[in-house]
Amino acid sequence: MRLAFVLSEIGSGLRRNLAMVISVILVTFVSLTFVGAAGMLQLQINQMKGYWYDKVQVAIFLCSDGSTAPGCATGPATPEQEDSLRKLLQSPAVAQYVNDFEYESKDDAYKHFKEQFSNSPIVDSVTPDQLPASFRINMKDPEKYEIISETFSSQAGVETVIDQRQLLERLFSAMNAASLVAVSIAGVMIICAILLIATTIRLSAFSRRRETGIMRLVGASKMVIQLPFILEGVIAAVIGAALASGTLWAVAHFFLGEVMSKQYPDTAFISPGQTLILAPALIGLGVVLAGISSLLTLRRYLRV
Amino acid sequence: MIRFENVTKVYDQKARPALDSISLEIDRGEFAFLVGASGSGKSTFLRLVLKEDRASSGAVYVAGQNVANISSWRVPRLRRGIGVVFQDFRLLPQKTVFANVAFAMQVIGKSRSVIRDTVPEVLKTVGLEGKENRLPHELSGGEQQRVAIARAVVNRPGILLADEPTGNLDPTTSMGIMGVLDKINQNGTTVVMATHDDDIVNEMRKRVVELKNGVVIRDEAKALYTSMIPVVGQSRRLRDASGRDEPPVVPPRAGTRAEARAEIRLAGEGQA
Ligand SMILES: Nc1ncnc2c1ncn2[C@@H]1O[C@H](COP(=O)(O)OP(=O)(O)O)[C@@H](O)[C@H]1O
Ligand SMILES: [Mg+2]
Repeated sequence: MRLAFVLSEIGSGLRRNLAMVISVILVTFVSLTFVGAAGMLQLQINQMKGYWYDKVQVAIFLCSDGSTAPGCATGPATPEQEDSLRKLLQSPAVAQYVNDFEYESKDDAYKHFKEQFSNSPIVDSVTPDQLPASFRINMKDPEKYEIISETFSSQAGVETVIDQRQLLERLFSAMNAASLVAVSIAGVMIICAILLIATTIRLSAFSRRRETGIMRLVGASKMVIQLPFILEGVIAAVIGAALASGTLWAVAHFFLGEVMSKQYPDTAFISPGQTLILAPALIGLGVVLAGISSLLTLRRYLRV
Repeated sequence: MIRFENVTKVYDQKARPALDSISLEIDRGEFAFLVGASGSGKSTFLRLVLKEDRASSGAVYVAGQNVANISSWRVPRLRRGIGVVFQDFRLLPQKTVFANVAFAMQVIGKSRSVIRDTVPEVLKTVGLEGKENRLPHELSGGEQQRVAIARAVVNRPGILLADEPTGNLDPTTSMGIMGVLDKINQNGTTVVMATHDDDIVNEMRKRVVELKNGVVIRDEAKALYTSMIPVVGQSRRLRDASGRDEPPVVPPRAGTRAEARAEIRLAGEGQA
């Protein structure tokens, strides 16, 4: 009975304040979309880092079938060449700059590649043979990349030495800056959302002051009196959060999946499914926003 | 049932207190009028009983409990034991008579079947049989006040507070309302009614507590609106003393407002 009553109160409240409720939905939608966009940029950065980015700085790629580099004149790197490269890495002259290194075989490379590019069509056209084996080096001091490069570039069986960080760092710092902008805009929008929800609840409480006055007098509990107002805000905020989640999914699906991944086939993009892990966080944030505003408002305008 | 011990209520530090050290007891099952000019503190008295406001000093007991000791989450329970009606009825305009009364039960979680059984019974008590499906604007003022009374008593409170319930009604209709309140009082509910309707008070011959500037200046049993004994400006309980001998006045049912005033003036002149 009480539940049915609370639900019918919420229904009438939402209908009575339709314009305000819609504006709450839109403001939470926009603010949470910005929050979600920042989250998506971070997910994308992680995706592009792939398996090795956080573990090593320098990669020595070995010759494979189609290699055309001068050091690869004798064809794919032989086990003997790999052994001598490993010895060189362990020699005191090099080892003093190296924390640690790992050998990535063609099969390992294929496995990591499949993980990173799981959302791209390119994954189907690549076989383990096409991918080079490599040594992945964790440097004591990443700035000393040149030493490794000079030492190994001319070795037999080495196709190329790459400083991975240099390739991606600039892009990542741009993406991090974009995340920061998105979070700042989100912050402003969230303040808007809180104030708007507070105003909506206040208007709603005002337009129903007759009912709540009677409820107080006949001894309705605080929960029965206040819950409809709180839930009104929460429902509107959750709808906004759901719209934001849907928008992020659509961006991942249509923009990244259909447009960007065709334009940049060698970049790993996040999948639409991955954006959905942001949805519970956005909905939770929406509920918290509405909760904070209700607390601020009801304490003043719906005293029991 | 209701006991005030040296209760003072100050709203505004600069103004005089709305109630000034009031001590008063209203027993279970009693019917008491609270009379006095506008601004004398009648509504404030009722608000303190409901814990709508806190006394600035002194203690208010309702059903033996000091309301100052009731925590805010238990105030609703206090209010379930008290029905209230106002001059302006305070009905929900878009709800029918039945729904208005049922509302008071819904919001405290009564089951649908209990509501279905109780509401018609209460509407019968207040004389609104057959009008369950009317909207408030389809009722006369007196009928609207009956709905408000039905709503106030539907949860069977021990106390009914009425703040000028006849203030918007003509004399005949007012008497009808008084009949309803009297019936509710006969059923054991303590009734406290703030009013400045002299006809009604004179007609009913119940206890009268008169306030002036926040002070009790008279407390008489079976009394009239205006005192028939000299006002001595004290706030002690005078009703036992005065209640034994009937005041020398017009017989209750005969007096119209004008006649009563004339009598009172004459009586006053006689005493002077
Ligand atoms: N909420 C309030 N704030 C400030 N002053 C008030 C408030 N309510 C009543 N008063 C003052 O208290 C006094 C008593 O008012 P009230 O109890 O309403 O009298 P009555 O009901 O007898 O007309 C008046 O002087 C009034 O102005
Ligand atoms: Mg008043």
